[in-house]
Amino acid sequence: MDYDTLLQFATELGYQLQLCGAEIYRIEESVRRVLSAYGASTGEVFAIPNCLIVSVNHPDGRPLTRIRRVGSHGTDIYRLEALNDLSRTICAQVPPLPEAIARLEAICQTQISYSFSFQLFCYFFATLAFCLFFGGTWLDALASGICGVVAGLCLIFLGRVGTNLIFKTFVGGLFSALTAFALSALGFGQNYDVIIIGALMSLVPGIAFTNAMRDIITGDMITGISKTAEAVFVGVFIALSTAAALWIARLLGVV
Amino acid sequence: MPEDLILPCLYAFFASLGFGFLYNIHGFGIFLCGLGGMLGWLVYLITAPLVHSPIIQSFFAALVISAYSEIMSRVRKAPVTGYLLIAFLPLVPGGGIYYTMKYCVDGMTDLFVSKGLETMGIAGALAAGVLLVSSTVRLITDFHRHRKDSC
Repeated sequence: MDYDTLLQFATELGYQLQLCGAEIYRIEESVRRVLSAYGASTGEVFAIPNCLIVSVNHPDGRPLTRIRRVGSHGTDIYRLEALNDLSRTICAQVPPLPEAIARLEAICQTQISYSFSFQLFCYFFATLAFCLFFGGTWLDALASGICGVVAGLCLIFLGRVGTNLIFKTFVGGLFSALTAFALSALGFGQNYDVIIIGALMSLVPGIAFTNAMRDIITGDMITGISKTAEAVFVGVFIALSTAAALWIARLLGVV
Repeated sequence: MPEDLILPCLYAFFASLGFGFLYNIHGFGIFLCGLGGMLGWLVYLITAPLVHSPIIQSFFAALVISAYSEIMSRVRKAPVTGYLLIAFLPLVPGGGIYYTMKYCVDGMTDLFVSKGLETMGIAGALAAGVLLVSSTVRLITDFHRHRKDSC
């Protein structure tokens, strides 16, 4: 058994899991199981939101360790499910290591995601539904959909540039709320409160918050607390961005 | 009365569906996410006449959604996260965040404090619901695993 390759493979698997937004316990458990499936029962793994450490003991006594820094990342449920399937099959069948590596590379290279225009349509559609959900009229909902697209554009483009989550949220919230005020000033939609709330739903930190709770359950307190803090920060910045938009709108006398 | 239930639940379904696409869920799973969102909001509305408190309603909805996600992930052998995250979105107090901010900007301190506390309460109730169900499920699976090992 080539321990260097095994370590490399297990670390890459954990890293990819982390990149698509898996919970910490899933990352640690997958890596540990893969290591023990290939006979490295002394494997240790430790993960926090932006760092992954995997260590195995070579049979001749040398410890081998690899650390990977994990940058900011989004949530990709499709790849998460594919990687989860891969680690299940590896533990069940234990294929030769090169084959497992090839399968992992195949998953990482096939980027299956919806097209840019379809994503924008989803922002439109989802925020429209949320506006109706919060009691808006159909006209409000259409306006909210447009604001949702504005928020989505901000998120996607700032995401490509690589800005941090809080700044993305602030800019997205600011521009979508400003659009809402502009639209309601033009008479398109009557109730700007509902329009803004609908659009804000594309920014709320629901994902971070739920994931944080799951991390706390499994005892990963460092991760749980830092993700909860992240969710709270994002929530505060949503409030700040709409407050800034409201202030600007009042300054201009639109509201 | 049923119309009061059907329309909001339908909107919750479509909203969750839209976000399912945004988090890159493919295939049949996306309908399960939509159903989860709908189920959560249905529970929220049904429990309204019983408890009259958004916080406790959110708690019950969180319980049901977590149980639903755990079952779905067992059935489909897929991570729980996908279903849980999306189905939760309609319950996230986006409106609460917005109105808290607005009362603050308008200088209505009483309303600001009460809305802010309610928003935090809802977030806490959601957290408590997830914690309770997931912990119970883990307890059960661990128990089964230990029994299997000792046999």
